[in-house]
Amino acid sequence: MSDRREWLSRLYAEGVTPASFVPDASLGRRVDLDAALEPGAGVELLEDLELLVHPISRTEPPPGLAFLDGIQQWKVIGYDGVAPIALAHVAAAVRRLGPDRRAVTAASASRGLVLAPEPTWTPERRGIVAASGLEAVPVPAAPDQPAAAIEALRRAVHHERQSIEKRLGEAAVAELDPGQWLVVDGQLSVSATLARHPRTVGVIKSHGAQFLEGRHLERALTVPASHRTTVFRVLGGHGRTAVTSWYVRLWPWEGHDLHYGLLRVETRDSDTAIAQASTIAGWLVALRAPLAAPDARFDRLLYPIHDVETYLRSRAPGEVAGSTAGRLPRTGT
Amino acid sequence: MIQRSEPRASPIGRVVATEQKPATPHQFHFWTATETSIGIGAIVKVDEGGRGKGEGGRVVYGVVTDGFAYSDLATPLHDVIGAEGDPARAGEAPAVRQEIRLWTAAVLRQMPEEPLQPVPLGEVHVATDADVALALRMDAYLHSAQPTAIPVGLYTSGGLEAPVYLDADFLLGPEAAHLNISGVSGLATKTSAVEFLLGGIFQHFPVHRGRVAAVCFNVKGPDLLFLDQAGSLDSDDRRRYERLGIPPTPFERVHYYAPFKADGVNLNTLRTHPDLTGAVEPLVWGLTEVLDFAEVLLNRDDIDAKADAFIDFLSDRVVRRDFDDGFGDTHHVETFADLERLFRSIFDGLENTARGDIWRTHHIATIRKVRNRLGNVSTRCKGLVTDDGPASDLPWGRFEDRAVYVLDVANVDPLGQDLVFARVVSKLREHLERRDLGVDAVVVFVDELNKYAPADGPDSYVKKMLLDISERGRYLGLVLFGAEQFRSQVHRRVVGNAGTQVFGRMDADELATPGYQVLSPAIKIKLATLPVGELMVRHPHFTQPIFIRFPRPPVLRGRDGVERFPPAEDRPFEDAVVLQLTRLDPKVRPNQVKDLIAGRDDRDVRRALGAVRRERPRDVFALFRKRLGTRVAADGPRDAAAVAPLDPIAEEPY
Repeated sequence: MSDRREWLSRLYAEGVTPASFVPDASLGRRVDLDAALEPGAGVELLEDLELLVHPISRTEPPPGLAFLDGIQQWKVIGYDGVAPIALAHVAAAVRRLGPDRRAVTAASASRGLVLAPEPTWTPERRGIVAASGLEAVPVPAAPDQPAAAIEALRRAVHHERQSIEKRLGEAAVAELDPGQWLVVDGQLSVSATLARHPRTVGVIKSHGAQFLEGRHLERALTVPASHRTTVFRVLGGHGRTAVTSWYVRLWPWEGHDLHYGLLRVETRDSDTAIAQASTIAGWLVALRAPLAAPDARFDRLLYPIHDVETYLRSRAPGEVAGSTAGRLPRTGT
Repeated sequence: MIQRSEPRASPIGRVVATEQKPATPHQFHFWTATETSIGIGAIVKVDEGGRGKGEGGRVVYGVVTDGFAYSDLATPLHDVIGAEGDPARAGEAPAVRQEIRLWTAAVLRQMPEEPLQPVPLGEVHVATDADVALALRMDAYLHSAQPTAIPVGLYTSGGLEAPVYLDADFLLGPEAAHLNISGVSGLATKTSAVEFLLGGIFQHFPVHRGRVAAVCFNVKGPDLLFLDQAGSLDSDDRRRYERLGIPPTPFERVHYYAPFKADGVNLNTLRTHPDLTGAVEPLVWGLTEVLDFAEVLLNRDDIDAKADAFIDFLSDRVVRRDFDDGFGDTHHVETFADLERLFRSIFDGLENTARGDIWRTHHIATIRKVRNRLGNVSTRCKGLVTDDGPASDLPWGRFEDRAVYVLDVANVDPLGQDLVFARVVSKLREHLERRDLGVDAVVVFVDELNKYAPADGPDSYVKKMLLDISERGRYLGLVLFGAEQFRSQVHRRVVGNAGTQVFGRMDADELATPGYQVLSPAIKIKLATLPVGELMVRHPHFTQPIFIRFPRPPVLRGRDGVERFPPAEDRPFEDAVVLQLTRLDPKVRPNQVKDLIAGRDDRDVRRALGAVRRERPRDVFALFRKRLGTRVAADGPRDAAAVAPLDPIAEEPY
């Protein structure tokens, strides 16, 4: 993307109207698009007859603990008529805590993408993008509905980020030494490999998808700090791998919000899941410090995950982020 | 002297620039790993690297002036929350925050120098030997056809020991000159540094620049009294000497001078141990040597226009010539005793002839006043100023190349110290102007500039002389190496004219004075905690101050010297005379001398001894006997040859 001006100029010469629009939530933070449960998904209590809370104590995490996270950044760089064309950067990295407790990068990957509704891609435009070293990504979307097209681009970017994250995570678990664990920011169930690995942990910070209901849901959402819920099985449903899960509260929520400090944790669906739950919950409690502040999600964001995001953002090309503090008032569609 | 550039090493840092902390042509910022060998004062090299766009190739050298460490912690409260208020738990966190070592560096040199641009955001490397030479612009005088480099110490950082050189043209003139060194007392840094530097000058001062000597005023204790004796050096010191290309040997040619004590035969110095081969020569001056410097000896209240005119009259018309006093007597004034006889003749003449109060247009009150003040000089500076008898002086016109002349005035009355300094410097100046001193340049080392050239206080003759050297000495080859504890308390023009400024460990209060505002807080902290043997140097070729380490001087320290060579007890008069004669000629037989001087007036003996010292005959005893003359039986009261003691209150209303 170093020759951005050149290829953009050529693209604009091909009839694209220049634009610079950074959609909301496109500067690195992930948007949880899996808020809704998939058909067939459900839960099955494994540990207790009904959902209870269990106290946990701080436990030292195992050495060499690794963390996987990804970022996505994108912006609209032009319009073909009213069809938006976006430049995106997706990246993922695995960073491992060393003996000195500092994180170092174990693996990373990134991609530069140009996304546009399928009809927008002429052979000339594909050639210009390919020559720049970026990947042209046709998105199935109607070119004459800009709002819908932008939403489609957003989902496409999200998909690409998830894809690179999944690929990197699967490569990372293949190289885990015995005794080493991988903590994934998000659901394990997106990858069968990750979901079935004995030493992976998925940490979910957003709670759009509620697996419980009634008093079970109430107990889960009001679990006290340094407590976890009963372990339950999340049935995979269509296209997902079944995992075991439980909630854990890192910080007292009273005075804040129900979700304050609340994590849902996923591990492999196995006989050892119940035995491991308190230990893993103890690791997460230990990982409350250092605080991931000033990130607004510091109550749920583990510092090493925050560190992976910081690392990825520091390596992202500045041109994708664009100028978010322009002199003119920001407008949007 | 400089090693060639080593193969390209891995960078230790990278220049960063933000809107808040941009890189400029004079300053830049860079980060390093948390574990790094560099620190405040380290020299680094920024390599632009090219980037394949043709704008590359620029290299910037800088010196680290400040350092910062911080983590991504937004507020200390977050740390408290993370540790749940328990500091012990903060250390138990499984992960630690990312942190940074951010350094600020001041630009030493950009290559190419034009166009002058902000420092590129390139890789940062530790400087090699060759880089240090380039960064400090030493290449111009180190690798030229006629090098003028004088080693001043080693730049040390991260295991590197790179020699640092001063330019002789800017240290000893004519381009710039003078060196000023500041630092707290008691760390043996200032004197040691000057001793080391003088050794370097004597070894490396280029022959094509002429001959050089040093005159050192020893103003306290035994500091400079053992420059010819080898001191102890450890292996590190020897390695540093080898790196600097200086043989670690004491000075080969050192000449010591000291006034006598009040007895006129024992020298007023701590270097009196009989095992010391280098003898101390007496420093004795008479009327003719002193009269030109009456302004030094007489304070502002003494010297009014009338007294000044009368002193000029004496100097121009009376001293060293036959002079008719107008009352029938002819005088030939060479000594204070001769002058006293003239004064008495004038007073008697005016009284006997009733010619009023005026003699040769000078009022008798003025004459009495001058007589009073000059008479007191030989009393206050007894041992240095002689009432009668010949002077013993420095070898004007015969100064040796690469020799040190130490004048031990540590135990001399402050007035005498001023006189010694003023006269010696004036004579140096006279001879250098006439180019007949024997050397082309003289380094004058003066400690305690706080005392001799204070920023405040009245203008003294010595201060005026120091200002004169500072401002005009470089044209003559008269170079001032001054030392003081508090630079801020030395006259601005004295320190300001020093082309090379050296700083040892500094007092925190001193560093808070305006003269140090240009230094960063980190540099000040480093200066306040500088270990023995380290200095900060400013030199015209260096655009920023540089920290260096110098080896201990290869000479015996004063304190060690008096322990190894304890001063001898004062000898009885006869023994002291014998000692002085046997030093001039070992064949002189002590008993013969004692028999000769037995029962003789001490003043006659001192006069004869002075004559022998001055003439240095082949047969010392013969000349001594001749100058002493034959014994004449006293036939009555004899006029006092010396100045009669004065009671300024009872006898002199002036």
